[in-house]
Amino acid sequence: MLDVINKLMGTAEKPDMEALKQRVSAARRLPALDREKVIRACGALSRELASPEYAAMLSGLGMPEEKIRREISLAAEMLSEGYLRERVKTELGETEDAVFTPFGSARPVKRGLRPLGVLLHISAGNVDALPAFSVIEGLLTGNVNLLKLPREDNGLSAAALERLCVIEPAIEPFVEVLDVPSTDTETLAALAGLSDAVVVWGGDEAVAAARRLARPDTRLIEWGHKLSFAYFSGAQADAALYSAAENICMTEQLYCSSCQGIYLDTDDFEEVCRFAERFAAILGEVSEKYPFSGGDRIRAQKTLELYTEELEARPNEKRVFRANGAGVIAVNDGALEASYQFRCPWVKPLKRERLPETLAPYKNRLQTVFLSCADEDKDALSELLLKTGVFRITDGRLMSREYCGMPHDGEYPLLRYMKRVSVEI
Amino acid sequence: MDERRKLFLKRDPYSPPKDGALFLRSVRALTEHHIRNCPEYARILEERGFSPDMLRSEEDLYKLPVIPTLYLKRNRLFSVDEKELRVKASSSGTKGKKSVVGLDKKSLRLGIGMMFRFFKYHGIISPVPVNYIVLGYEPSAHADMGAIKTAYGTTKFAPALSRTYALKDTGSDYELNLEGVKRALIKAAKSPFPVRFVGFPPYMYFLMKMLKDEGIRLKTGRRSTVLLGGGWKGFSGLEIDREEFLRLLDEVLGIGRERCFEFYSAVEHPMAYVKCSEGHFHIPCYSRVIIRDIASLEPVKDGEAGLLSFVTPLVTSMPLVSVVTDDIAVRHEGPCACGLNAPYFDLLGRAGVAGIKTCVSGANEFLGGKNA
Repeated sequence: MLDVINKLMGTAEKPDMEALKQRVSAARRLPALDREKVIRACGALSRELASPEYAAMLSGLGMPEEKIRREISLAAEMLSEGYLRERVKTELGETEDAVFTPFGSARPVKRGLRPLGVLLHISAGNVDALPAFSVIEGLLTGNVNLLKLPREDNGLSAAALERLCVIEPAIEPFVEVLDVPSTDTETLAALAGLSDAVVVWGGDEAVAAARRLARPDTRLIEWGHKLSFAYFSGAQADAALYSAAENICMTEQLYCSSCQGIYLDTDDFEEVCRFAERFAAILGEVSEKYPFSGGDRIRAQKTLELYTEELEARPNEKRVFRANGAGVIAVNDGALEASYQFRCPWVKPLKRERLPETLAPYKNRLQTVFLSCADEDKDALSELLLKTGVFRITDGRLMSREYCGMPHDGEYPLLRYMKRVSVEI
Repeated sequence: MDERRKLFLKRDPYSPPKDGALFLRSVRALTEHHIRNCPEYARILEERGFSPDMLRSEEDLYKLPVIPTLYLKRNRLFSVDEKELRVKASSSGTKGKKSVVGLDKKSLRLGIGMMFRFFKYHGIISPVPVNYIVLGYEPSAHADMGAIKTAYGTTKFAPALSRTYALKDTGSDYELNLEGVKRALIKAAKSPFPVRFVGFPPYMYFLMKMLKDEGIRLKTGRRSTVLLGGGWKGFSGLEIDREEFLRLLDEVLGIGRERCFEFYSAVEHPMAYVKCSEGHFHIPCYSRVIIRDIASLEPVKDGEAGLLSFVTPLVTSMPLVSVVTDDIAVRHEGPCACGLNAPYFDLLGRAGVAGIKTCVSGANEFLGGKNA
């Protein structure tokens, strides 16, 4: 019904496709975008982020102080010249063209990396300014970037990209920010037609829509939604519980990398309940440190959800432990699922023997695991988890913290936006 | 238990019954009925330490544990054999999760009687035949949303000369029929009989905008009526000012504000509330409104915002005596400038918000997607 209304209201104006086509062709003809220029412009933007106007902008979006400080310092780090140079080195490796003579051949070959050409970024709004980061990755790899803003965009990305173009005018022809609604499939298909690859961020719906949009001649680069969790084996010191609680409160369980819940290496539900009760107390305590970022309406929704879980609780199936607005739900099944988010993790029993069969159905959905176990178990459990779809094993506090040059969902993003070329001399 | 007839069949729904303890007695008796007949409900009350003798005065009503909408979406709570249910309706809820509410003969008879009195009081029941314009879905075999049934049921309050639907049934789906609505409306405006509009406010608004943009002004007659339900929720970015809406109504269709009725209702609380001329939903004697704290679910003071919950002894087939909705509201005591002394509530919004930013796989079934 909403779609009907949106179509009727026709809120967004259609972009002028003819003009866009011409600008894209013109950009394709330009000399390659100098990566150093992009890196220096990002560096300048990174230094600017310290000025109070950026904090004010985030504050205007209703973000709590503490989160503003965190987000700004993170963005500043990720845009810094040193960080980006290191990323390029790690992800692309050898960036200069090289000449070599292939095995069994006498003819030398020049090999190297080139941009894919034109990227259409269909971006979800799941992380603030994520669309801008996606485009910056496209710029670092020399591509022309068409950005379809997410529906609920807060303006941060467009502002950041605009600033980047002011700092370094050479970037401007390589960026087009478009406000096309997802319902306008005709325009989106035309944009995909203009592009060499479609980079899609989002859930199943967004990914499926992108697959429908892109013709077989258009490469799809999918960054789908993922699930992350903790796996605890053996006796646990409080430190591990605090570590998981920090991630849960800091991210409100909203990210692909956020801890949705904790599996215990047991089949004893009583043990699960005892752990859940202990964890709830710690989660409640850590909650104090991180102001709830969801607002009253989300708080009301979480209250109703936890209360409903309580009404459904049964001694041997499900129990709810609440503390300070947070709630831990102990469930006696091993099924992996998203939590209610906003500090409502689950705790479930899952013996290590059952890990492979339990996680197998979640192909391409898993991401990060916080593994806490005895040192002598660490290697075996890590390998067991990595045999499933899991990409990263780390500590609770670091789950949603990227390090420089970290693969994303098993891949180096910069490498995905380039092609390997060979020229026989 | 049929003392309840005295409560629900009162001629003036907004004046308290002579017998002040009637409501409380009815709630207690109905709660006992559900405890006896719905083991699941009995377990919930017992686990939460509730027993019906705790209801000594109306101040104690909040102690009766509330059943949230979400619980009804995921669990079935019936106090009669499902075979005895005469009507079933499901909420137009989030993906795959719908409340199914069923009424037995007894509840249905009482409910229809109540609704008849209630609408009669508001001058909505009329023997004069009307042309209906339904700004919603045409009833069909392939959909059983409560909203459709309500809209269709509403077309029984006055005899129908014709019914035109904005969303026409194509046999398997719906298509928008605004042109058909426009034609039917122009024809109806020429007829001596009044027009009745039934449906969702955004559609009504859109229809009026369309007519206005095309320079169409109609005089549909003094007795023409607008019945709006389903609220404004779910249409983000379409926050329509009520005053502007009423001005358009007068300007484009020649209908005065006193003939525009806006309802609040929920599948889990089969009862109607009508917005008064001051924009408040007054609470009839059939129910009590308790606004609950968004964190503790304890009652808050009048004037403070919280989750909207209701107590009513209407339904025998399901324990819907005390339910809490996803709506955020505030309650005030009367009197009101509209002339009613009854207390009222104002809707402020909904729990949860659409468009939460998350990249967690499978999280969408909990978040966003709250659009009807």
